[in-house]
Amino acid sequence: MDFEITPEQQALVESVRSVLERECPTALVRDIVENGSAPEQPWKSAHELGWTSIDLPEGLGGLGLGFTTLGLVVEQHGRCIAPGPFLASVTQFLTLVCEAGAPDQLELFAIPAAAGELRGALAIDHGRVAERQPGESLRARRDGNDWILEGERPYVLDGDTADEIAVVARVDEGDRVGLFLVPQAAAEARRVVALDASRPLAHLRFDGVRVEPGRVLGTPGRSAAALGRSLERATIAAALECVGTCQTLLERTLAHVKSRRQFDQPIGAFQAIQHKCADMFLQVEKARATGYFALLAVTEDDPRRALAASMAKAAASDAQRLVCKDAIQIHGGMGYTWESDVQLFVKRAKTLEALFGAGDAHRRRIADLLEV
Amino acid sequence: MRATRIAGASPTCSRYDVKLHYDAPTEAFRSQLRAWLEQNQPTLEEMRADPLTSSAHMTDWARRWQQCLFDAGLLVPGWPPELGGRNLPPVQQLVYHEEMAKIAAERSGNPQGLGIIAPSIHDYGSDLLKEKYLRPTLRAEITWCLGMSEPGAGSDLAALSTRAEVHDDHFVVSGQKIWTSGAHHADHCFCFVRTDPDAPKHKGISVVIVDMKAPGVTVRPLPEMNDPDHVDFNEVFFDGVVVPRDHLVGPLDQGWSIPAGSLAHERGMMWLRGAAKLDGIVAGLLELAREPGPDGRRLGEDECFRDAVARAYLDTQAIWFMGYRGFAKFARGEVSPEHSVLKLFSSEVCQSAALAATEAMGIGALDVDFEGYGYDDTHGLPPWMTQYFQSYRATISAGTSEIQRNIIAQRVLGLPRR
Repeated sequence: MDFEITPEQQALVESVRSVLERECPTALVRDIVENGSAPEQPWKSAHELGWTSIDLPEGLGGLGLGFTTLGLVVEQHGRCIAPGPFLASVTQFLTLVCEAGAPDQLELFAIPAAAGELRGALAIDHGRVAERQPGESLRARRDGNDWILEGERPYVLDGDTADEIAVVARVDEGDRVGLFLVPQAAAEARRVVALDASRPLAHLRFDGVRVEPGRVLGTPGRSAAALGRSLERATIAAALECVGTCQTLLERTLAHVKSRRQFDQPIGAFQAIQHKCADMFLQVEKARATGYFALLAVTEDDPRRALAASMAKAAASDAQRLVCKDAIQIHGGMGYTWESDVQLFVKRAKTLEALFGAGDAHRRRIADLLEV
Repeated sequence: MRATRIAGASPTCSRYDVKLHYDAPTEAFRSQLRAWLEQNQPTLEEMRADPLTSSAHMTDWARRWQQCLFDAGLLVPGWPPELGGRNLPPVQQLVYHEEMAKIAAERSGNPQGLGIIAPSIHDYGSDLLKEKYLRPTLRAEITWCLGMSEPGAGSDLAALSTRAEVHDDHFVVSGQKIWTSGAHHADHCFCFVRTDPDAPKHKGISVVIVDMKAPGVTVRPLPEMNDPDHVDFNEVFFDGVVVPRDHLVGPLDQGWSIPAGSLAHERGMMWLRGAAKLDGIVAGLLELAREPGPDGRRLGEDECFRDAVARAYLDTQAIWFMGYRGFAKFARGEVSPEHSVLKLFSSEVCQSAALAATEAMGIGALDVDFEGYGYDDTHGLPPWMTQYFQSYRATISAGTSEIQRNIIAQRVLGLPRR
């Protein structure tokens, strides 16, 4: 049993990191947050360098490098709090289309999404993800061969910037899950004043939006399994991005305590600080190991994959809670300021915590799966 | 660098180093080992009839079992046959530890003798000491206690003050040790003493082998909080004890460099027993969930308890994952921070899991009746309150949780020492 990554994966991770570090300094994120800019990078690089098609099967023109490799790349995005559509489009939208789509839908939606020509988002009830329910606020009903969407889906990541929305709606048959592809323009979008403006959220309203058969993914009422599998991937990806963000917060905190001097010594020499740092390190290591296990479990389609996904999210939750708390605290007054970059990372981590269910929801799911 | 396809990779058969399974030869070894253990391990009946009551209590069955492991090359499998091994590669050693953690019998009735003292004598002892002590220790003919902590030298171990006056052909040892596991059963003490009182703290320390039956050695048992009849710890008093000069281990005044850790080549695997113990605790929590709680409802319906079980499960799994990651680095000869983290984490997870169980049980947690004896684990898990108290063994001994955090901060994260 070996949880180390291959030399090929390591090389890719390092190249992703160096590109992101170059193209995505915190100044870029700050410019989005403060000035509402919409930078082309690092998304342009992500598809030009093939990152967006890492997990797409070779038969569809993808790289077929697998979900583990994709997860490692997402972790690097978290380290640099990279903005842009990567998380929503590649780990959420594309994942669902690949899991549930028919061949012609893969052709029309997956291949362009993997090429970066189409940006997708996933409209899901984040509050019900852990329990695999579609939620009640958005429903779909049959109308001849078409389906009609009615209702609201709040808090959709990239909900007003994506080109296409994969919509999860409640249907009145079978397993209650219906999956639909809707052009973003068909929904009425309301931008949320989001905590992390580099992870934009929108409330989407669907007022009788008609969906033609070619845009129905799988069979409504028989889609829970496909949804569950793609949500496992999306949840794990969010957990890995969170691990990356926590890693950077830890590193920045360590650098701070080594250089900041009080009482004629670096504050990192104080045991009160050392113990906090040791605990932060422990939680980040725990979250990373758990996240990597989840990547493997999905890649190998291990029977523990559902449990692994919830464990990864719950472990990332534990990490972000402690790391955010102590990173702010240890940075002292500066950690509370707007000009410190600590706030940018903390806000990203808190956003990722809330996506796809927070730690407590996933611990409930773990308890359910263990039949406690 | 642009991401590229790995040559030969296909969606159904990708090559990943990261695996969830071992290769076929490793699994074949596991099957053989399981069959051998099935045939040879001591029965629960014989273990219960004559339980191990301390970490140096070598009962007849424990001695036979250790000799059986030695003869089969399964006592220290990474060592050569003459030392009770079979030169196993690291991955198979890991599988060995996985399987050994699943059976009730420990490898040795004297874990510090096997795990700490034998390798130290092997690495630092003179030919005479190796001849006299190494093989008998491995074959369970003699048992050991480890004389380290003192009343004035706990976490600050280098402050130890037990003196050994140096004479031409002998030492005279005077002073006191405490928390000396198994001292009341041990034949010998691997004892850290101060041979140069004028040297700086970490210099001037030596290791000598003291015969526990020598005149001037007094052992006072120190029962643990759970059970007045359960003694593993002792105080040991040395009053002018004469130790032959050739019973010095390693060079004079350089005892501090003798690492009183575990078998160096097994260091990447020591976490495994703790992880296996936690698996047992999680299984116990899942069992407890089916029982009625203080309000008569099934405990599994209590949201707080469900959360605690999920946490314990997650943390235990994470310890396995971190352990395997650390092992992979260890097997490649790299430094792996996982090990310092794992001792800290597993001991604290154990503690909070047991505490959560006691809180969920309410007044029922106050019944601490238990048939088993403290040091043997052939009777299954003790009551949860007892487990909670026992969990402090791991958070206090072998470097407290606070010392572990200092070590992680300073040696792993590079924070300055004061």
